[in-house]
Amino acid sequence: MIKKNPVNIIITGVGGQGNVLASRVLAGMLVSAGYFVTIGETFGMSQRGGSVMSHLRISRQSVLSPQIPGGRADIIIALEPVEALRVLTKYGNPQTVILANEREVYPIGVITGELNYPSSQIIKEKFDKYSAKNWFIDATSAAVKLGNPILSNIIMVGALSATKQLPIDRRAFQREIKKDMTADKQKINLAAFDAGVGMI
Amino acid sequence: MRQTRKLSSQELLKKNVLDAGLCTGCGACVNLCPYQVIYRDRTVQLHSCDLSDGKCYAFCPRSSTDLSVLRKSLFPQADVTPEIGVVKGYYLSRAADSNLRERAQHGGTITALMELALAEGLIETAIVSSSERQVNVPVAIKSKDDLLQNSQSRFTVSPTVATFHEIAAENIAKIGVVATPCQALALAKIKTYTDKDASLKKDKLKLVVGLFCGWTLARDKFTELLKMNNIDESAVVGMEIPAGKGILEIYTPQGNRTIPMKEVENCIREACRYCVDSTAEYADVSVGAARFGNDWEEMRKWNQLIVRTEAGSDLIDLAVARGVLEIKEAPSEILKELKKAALEKKKVAMKNIVAKSGRENNLLYLNSNDSLIKGLLKRSGRKK
Amino acid sequence: MSNLLSPANKVVLYMGNEAIARGALEAGVNVACGYPGTPSSEVVESLSKVTTERNLYVEWSTNEKVALEVAAAASFASLRSLCVMKQNGVNVASDFLLHLTASGTRGGLVLVTCEDPGALSSVNEGESRYFARMLEIPLLEPATFQEAKDMTKWAFELSEKIHNVVMLRSVTRLSHASGNVICGRLPAKNSKAHFDYSGSMMDPLRGPVVSTPVVPKHTIQQKKLAETANLFEKILCNYYEGPKKPELLVITSSACYLYSREAIGMLGLQKRVGILKLGSTWPLPPQLLKKHLKAAGKVLIVEEVLSFLEENVKTLYAGCAKEIGVKAFYGKNDGTIPSVGELNPDIVAAALGKIFRIKYKPVADDYAHAMQEIEKIIPLRQQTFCAGCPHRASYWNINAALKLDGRAGIVCGDIGCYTLGALTPANGFNTVRTSHSMGSGTGIASGFAKLDAFGLKNPILSVCGDSTFYHAAIPALINARHNNANLTMIVLDNSGTAMTGFQPHPGLCSGASGETLPAIDIAEIARGIGAEVAICDPFDLEKTTAQLTTFMEKADTVKVLILRQICALSPEKKGKKKYLMKVNEELCRGEECGCNRLCTRIFRCPALVWDKVKKKAVVDEVICAGCGVCYSICPQKAITKTEAPPQ
Repeated sequence: MIKKNPVNIIITGVGGQGNVLASRVLAGMLVSAGYFVTIGETFGMSQRGGSVMSHLRISRQSVLSPQIPGGRADIIIALEPVEALRVLTKYGNPQTVILANEREVYPIGVITGELNYPSSQIIKEKFDKYSAKNWFIDATSAAVKLGNPILSNIIMVGALSATKQLPIDRRAFQREIKKDMTADKQKINLAAFDAGVGMI
Repeated sequence: MRQTRKLSSQELLKKNVLDAGLCTGCGACVNLCPYQVIYRDRTVQLHSCDLSDGKCYAFCPRSSTDLSVLRKSLFPQADVTPEIGVVKGYYLSRAADSNLRERAQHGGTITALMELALAEGLIETAIVSSSERQVNVPVAIKSKDDLLQNSQSRFTVSPTVATFHEIAAENIAKIGVVATPCQALALAKIKTYTDKDASLKKDKLKLVVGLFCGWTLARDKFTELLKMNNIDESAVVGMEIPAGKGILEIYTPQGNRTIPMKEVENCIREACRYCVDSTAEYADVSVGAARFGNDWEEMRKWNQLIVRTEAGSDLIDLAVARGVLEIKEAPSEILKELKKAALEKKKVAMKNIVAKSGRENNLLYLNSNDSLIKGLLKRSGRKK
Repeated sequence: MSNLLSPANKVVLYMGNEAIARGALEAGVNVACGYPGTPSSEVVESLSKVTTERNLYVEWSTNEKVALEVAAAASFASLRSLCVMKQNGVNVASDFLLHLTASGTRGGLVLVTCEDPGALSSVNEGESRYFARMLEIPLLEPATFQEAKDMTKWAFELSEKIHNVVMLRSVTRLSHASGNVICGRLPAKNSKAHFDYSGSMMDPLRGPVVSTPVVPKHTIQQKKLAETANLFEKILCNYYEGPKKPELLVITSSACYLYSREAIGMLGLQKRVGILKLGSTWPLPPQLLKKHLKAAGKVLIVEEVLSFLEENVKTLYAGCAKEIGVKAFYGKNDGTIPSVGELNPDIVAAALGKIFRIKYKPVADDYAHAMQEIEKIIPLRQQTFCAGCPHRASYWNINAALKLDGRAGIVCGDIGCYTLGALTPANGFNTVRTSHSMGSGTGIASGFAKLDAFGLKNPILSVCGDSTFYHAAIPALINARHNNANLTMIVLDNSGTAMTGFQPHPGLCSGASGETLPAIDIAEIARGIGAEVAICDPFDLEKTTAQLTTFMEKADTVKVLILRQICALSPEKKGKKKYLMKVNEELCRGEECGCNRLCTRIFRCPALVWDKVKKKAVVDEVICAGCGVCYSICPQKAITKTEAPPQ
């Protein structure tokens, strides 16, 4: 059962990190569990190196606005640390929980030296102070070990399931990926899911 | 109070040299980094660089220079003439090899000297201007045959110093360069550069043979002029300005063509109007045509030769000893004529510099406290 | 199996665009076509995957006008057809659309326009609702995923009823959002195409399909539209929710309905505010409007982009004001709702707050303050070309050529990822000086090139994507050639419609559903027009820059430089590195004079990172696409490349 009605989840990251797939897989599991799910997303130009967000809203009875109102995020899942912070400032509240990947993807302004990227220590400090609970995991390294950095999105989904914030588990995940993944892909994605579970 | 940002070296180069029309196209700022390149005869800044104290500006022969300091470190014990710089010896010279003379523009002195320097191992590579291609590009030469290919003057600038930077970055220890006065000045600045930058291979510069130079031609304008005269630029193999005729001779396989000097002068590179050096005063030896007197046909087979440094002197002695160079004392009226012409160029340049800056105490790249420059300023002022 | 073919009564998570596609399938659509454009592309794309199962013809047409013509032919042959485009596409198709709505249609023809309020992935936030009013055709605007499916299906029936085009408008937040949809039945597949032109001109089903005689046909069209207004009084997608006598009536449609409902909840105004949710916004159902306007004293119209709904409601109100009394109207015209950008629940809540004088605070002040402080340490993440993007290399070459040429060449831009070339130096490109509609760059360049007589001597260039070339740049190129406009057109050919998801275009040998089709070569077209053509690989920096400078110097002719390199995100390239890149730290000169961080300061690939501690460049192997271009730019040859092992 969901703990709150609705549950507002924001999956964030940088264009190309696999946000969309993570949100689709998660939503698919929850639809199969009988919930109304609304996902709000942007594709296209905004993906090119920019910040991306998927808004997921899990409700017992209806579809909702595809945009979550400010300050109303219950769960933030971030594939990139500073993006977690960015989402927190707009959608966070003292009850928000955060699951974030540790690996930075530097914005161009940071690469050129015009902007500064906060240290992971500072980011963690802010999480501790301004969220109810947080997990900071190195999903990218685990994904590289599995052979492809893109798998960090599924590792995050696995980790999320282990946090017990949502009614999702390994079996639901397995059912969901069976729908449109080849056997090979299912295998590696399941391994990624398990790796994520192991990191919590 | 408003803070004004200190300009980067690249910005200074742009403001004080490129935009000011002072760029000689020598290539001193090129091949040091990815930011400046030479395209045709133009120095192009491809991307912006925000460093100050950069080598690009430090090496530029048109960034502010105290020539007296430079002279002191290059020619520790020599006297300086106000017209043609340091003179340890002054001769007429020509290559001993008549074949070489045949193919060279004048006496073949430069080719003979570079050939010798290569043969004796004084240098491993000689950088000279190439007449191989349509554009005058410097080439690095390691053998005699290549040298002969490149022994004709074209009166357009080549980024010789850029080639020096390029070759110096390679695994070559001894380099000789044939340089115009502006290039020789840049090389002198490189030689005396004090920053201990490991990538700077200034010690590899073993020999600078200077060329006498009145001016060079701006490529775009000259191309246009050739076009107007129906001359195929790619077919030009050499050029000459015979003394006293007021024409430019252009050599092509289809025969020789001439263009009146009045028209050619319109194509002179702007930077050359501010140049005070016609004899490559900062080279080890300087070589020029003996473009004087009534006896042009005889004289054109000889070079004027000024020996300036110890290294230059040693090279000439060796060349004579090995029998590759013939030298003779020059008649005093020729030296007088050379000095007169050199001084005239300096005076005109000073006038042009003052006209450009608008003030006698702003001499652009020259230091007005330099006693030689002061003297010049007086002379050119007097003439006004 | 595609989930577009899910059985009846199954609850499926559909993206808005998939819901539209499913609705079309449930209506028994036979032909679907369009031109890709965010946020519309997934409608045709998802249909292209079920052509065999549903007896469907799907094509990516050359441009939107042609797409609508293809769809119209199916309709004339009494089949059902769907034509899909983004807001800008309707402008392209509008010339034909004007004539098509005058001639009328036969088989159901639904024109889906997916619009982009706030221009999240567009160069304008134009809208096409006004076309419906101007062309006198019905306009439907679904608000939920279920409605997107159901209304699409019904739109075909409506189209056949009035013998005209029905326009269905979606927005990014519906098209690219996903939600639960209960599937309906997929019909039997037994359509036969037949074009009958034997009847009289006035016979809508058997005569020739023309707009003449104009006035009698126009009269019939208007009569049908009036009947449609009546029909809209009772349809299910128009409904009211809220108290019987609300203090404020919100009139809204589309995704704005969801924002409004949420905002009313956020402010706890459920007992004071009612919503009249309209699924059909043109023509407006007059009685329904009148009834609900009468019940409330204040009216707020919530809509995105222009005040289309507000104007039409006010016009209708003017006709019955005497009867239903004085009302206070709020909306875009009085500034209660912002007149630009997309809306969201917070913006609507702010509007309601203004009207009811309620201060809405989602979090406590000290928390909000702390968040403002954190915002200051978060670096801005600007858009940029992806690691391995051919456009970065192309612009690198173009910039170099412009600098070498030295005559201040002007580059006219076009529509695609490469539009980023217009952005400021902060993003590293800053090359493109104009950017408008598809193909316009070359048209503008053609015009600039003729201004030399007035003293504009700069060399003129245009950049244009491969798909854009076919879409609308060919006439511009012909114009340039025919009028002796001396320009250099650079075709950034990344082998697909990359920005919208690699839809095929006429330059490729496969169609929307993977069928083999003849490819039409850009170089051959350009040569046929009489342009001088060269093809370069933009990753070969030296050769490309040299070719471009040569072209720029050539006077009195049109030059086309095709820069061919596949998009880094394309299915054939993504995740497969050609080279493994590494920085040799001993050679890297970093900030020193001689390099000054050319790669991280100027080239700006997201995969090249500056290590502030070591003061060396580093390749982020996770992000690096292995294109190898940075190897070519490093002045020290400190960036090394080795062939990657096959994956």
